[in-house]
Amino acid sequence: MERQSNGRQEVPLTWLREGEVGIVSSIRGGCGRGHRWGFEKRLMDMGLTPGTEILVVRSAPFHGPLEVLVRGTRLALGRGLAEKIFVVKKENV
Amino acid sequence: MSKRTISVALAGNANVGKSVIFNHLTGLHQHIGNWPGKTVEKAEGTLHYKGYTIDIIDLPGIYSLSTYSLEELISRRYIAVEKPDVVVNVVDASVLERNLFFTLQLLELEAPVVMALNQMDIARKKGISIDVKKLEKLLGIPVAPTIAIKGVGLTQLLDKIIEVAEKGQMRRTEIKYGREIEERISKLTEMIKQAKYHYPPRYAAIKLLEGDKEIEEEISKINPKIVSAAKNLAAEIEEIHGHPCPSVIASERYERASCIVREVQKIVPPLKPSTEEKLHDLTTHKVLGYPIMILTLLSIFYTVFIFGGYISELLSDVLYSFKPIINDVFRDGAAGSLIWSIIEGVIAGVTIALPYIAPFYIILYILEDSGYLARIAFLMDTFMHKMGLHGKAFIPIMLSYGCNVPACLGCRIMETERERLLAVFVTTLIPCAARTVIILGLVGQYLGIGWALALYIFDLTVVFLLGRLVFKALPGEPTALIMEMPTYRIPHIKTVLRQTWFRLLEFIKIAFPLIIAGSFLIESIEILGLLDAISAALSPITVAWLGLPAITGISLIFGVLRKELTLIMLSALLGTIDFSSVLTPTQMAVFTIVTMFYIPCISTIAALVKEVGWKNALSITVFEIIFAIVLGGITYRALTLFRWAT
Repeated sequence: MERQSNGRQEVPLTWLREGEVGIVSSIRGGCGRGHRWGFEKRLMDMGLTPGTEILVVRSAPFHGPLEVLVRGTRLALGRGLAEKIFVVKKENV
Repeated sequence: MSKRTISVALAGNANVGKSVIFNHLTGLHQHIGNWPGKTVEKAEGTLHYKGYTIDIIDLPGIYSLSTYSLEELISRRYIAVEKPDVVVNVVDASVLERNLFFTLQLLELEAPVVMALNQMDIARKKGISIDVKKLEKLLGIPVAPTIAIKGVGLTQLLDKIIEVAEKGQMRRTEIKYGREIEERISKLTEMIKQAKYHYPPRYAAIKLLEGDKEIEEEISKINPKIVSAAKNLAAEIEEIHGHPCPSVIASERYERASCIVREVQKIVPPLKPSTEEKLHDLTTHKVLGYPIMILTLLSIFYTVFIFGGYISELLSDVLYSFKPIINDVFRDGAAGSLIWSIIEGVIAGVTIALPYIAPFYIILYILEDSGYLARIAFLMDTFMHKMGLHGKAFIPIMLSYGCNVPACLGCRIMETERERLLAVFVTTLIPCAARTVIILGLVGQYLGIGWALALYIFDLTVVFLLGRLVFKALPGEPTALIMEMPTYRIPHIKTVLRQTWFRLLEFIKIAFPLIIAGSFLIESIEILGLLDAISAALSPITVAWLGLPAITGISLIFGVLRKELTLIMLSALLGTIDFSSVLTPTQMAVFTIVTMFYIPCISTIAALVKEVGWKNALSITVFEIIFAIVLGGITYRALTLFRWAT
């Protein structure tokens, strides 16, 4: 799951604990059905562009969605989606 | 130019107070319908101000002008093709950056924009102050700060609308991207200019680089070379930046938005967390969030259905008291029965529409406008996901246990057409109060509560399996939750009531003719003495396949009007209320199963037509009839085989 990018460690957003901040490095299109253009575009539209700071506020129980803070907006992201968002943890930057 | 008509479109993100502004401006002069051929709601209204007639259209709440959803496509086409005189961009001042991302796209679309900088009160609470003059200068458009729920700033907004309509835009700022991108945009723009396309050339060029499907398709019809050139140019940009081109462009656009925000906005965060913050933490709490949600929803639904049931009974008592009068006038003739059937249709409509749908709409809007709906969706997402739906679907699904009609109407909170269709389908299968009455009254009464419970669970399993099956079968992307959780706020009651009123009218317009026609048709069949013929015609299904008495065919037909009528008619037709003397336990079980699934009642069909259109409504109905018959027959054979019954 871990990937190297310019020597920094990229992890899926879901690996961050509550209260941790990451910087979006890339969004990886998933496997499976549907074209990736749709949800990637949607994430971009909501402000999750590469380089954006993202704070994990909390995650819903039962493996539920994440609540994140991006550009001053509180967003709920489904877990499957959050797994496709790769970030670099802030303290490692 | 002197006094005239001005066309205005309201555009902006969801949860920015667009509908509050719309309602404030248009008052009771509005019309709610659907966009032609689409299931997306279209709200229009008119206002007279300083001698001008201002026609306002409230575009759906969206986050971008690309083609992620039908709403975005509709809004974009409306702005670019219908060219309203003024586009009012309603903006949430408390999350300026994300809202500006949309504003910048409106500017790219070369729309004549006036900004309503709304929710200034919420921004102030968050310690945000905005330099409006500077914002106007940087964007090159007029900006009117507003607090819509208090009506603050709306006259200034109207004055600015008129100014732009009369004098045209000041001087709209053009957003410049990085040099390597700009070069490529100009190349494409030149090519598109020659192609004579109905979107502004520069906008089309940018969208082509972003991989916009609609524009790609349309331009490739004019000149496919442009699209392939765009693909090459996009690949070059991807090469330079190491990220996909659409993401590079979105990043730069956001970069511009955040530059502007840095210049115009100051934040002094309040020291103590606000009440809204505390409420948010509490309602999304890992443990406490759930009991709070269950208590809130249960008390709401309980109140609605108790209240609704009471009013419904009262209304039908009053309306039924006219029956003897009608019978008197027409001396029990056929004409009297037919007229009565029309009134009975009205009763069915009135006793469902007014007592259940009106309060439900009010509750739905309060849940949505206050922001609590988003928290419920957050908590319930995991469970709804199993059916391919996301958390928001929990509300209509829970509602459908009471009545499928408001539940179907509530499915409009789902974002995409695919999700709406799936949610609507699932809600029509859930046993509503009327079906629960049949389960309890027939199976529960004569076979024991255990069997009633078993049937209920069986029903839910089938709903779940069918939901999953349709989820797999429907084309399109599986749903993923990307949802804004807006700051909690007190809903604007006047807006809520108006929204309810106009949607209720819309429902009555669609539902009443259908319900009355259905009632009339069934009564005519009875008068013409065709009931026996029909039960004979249905007997291959009812008797041979389902193993039921032939007479049940008639009661099933009446059940289309209201599901509880199946049981009432059955006792009338069989001439007894002791069902155990006329039906075997197997027959009871089969009859109940068929009743649960065979068709949404006519009011639900009307709601389906309103939400997903005739074609889908018809497919769902036909599917459920066939499904119920097949399932009933299989159950009959299974139960007989296991010799569970006598």
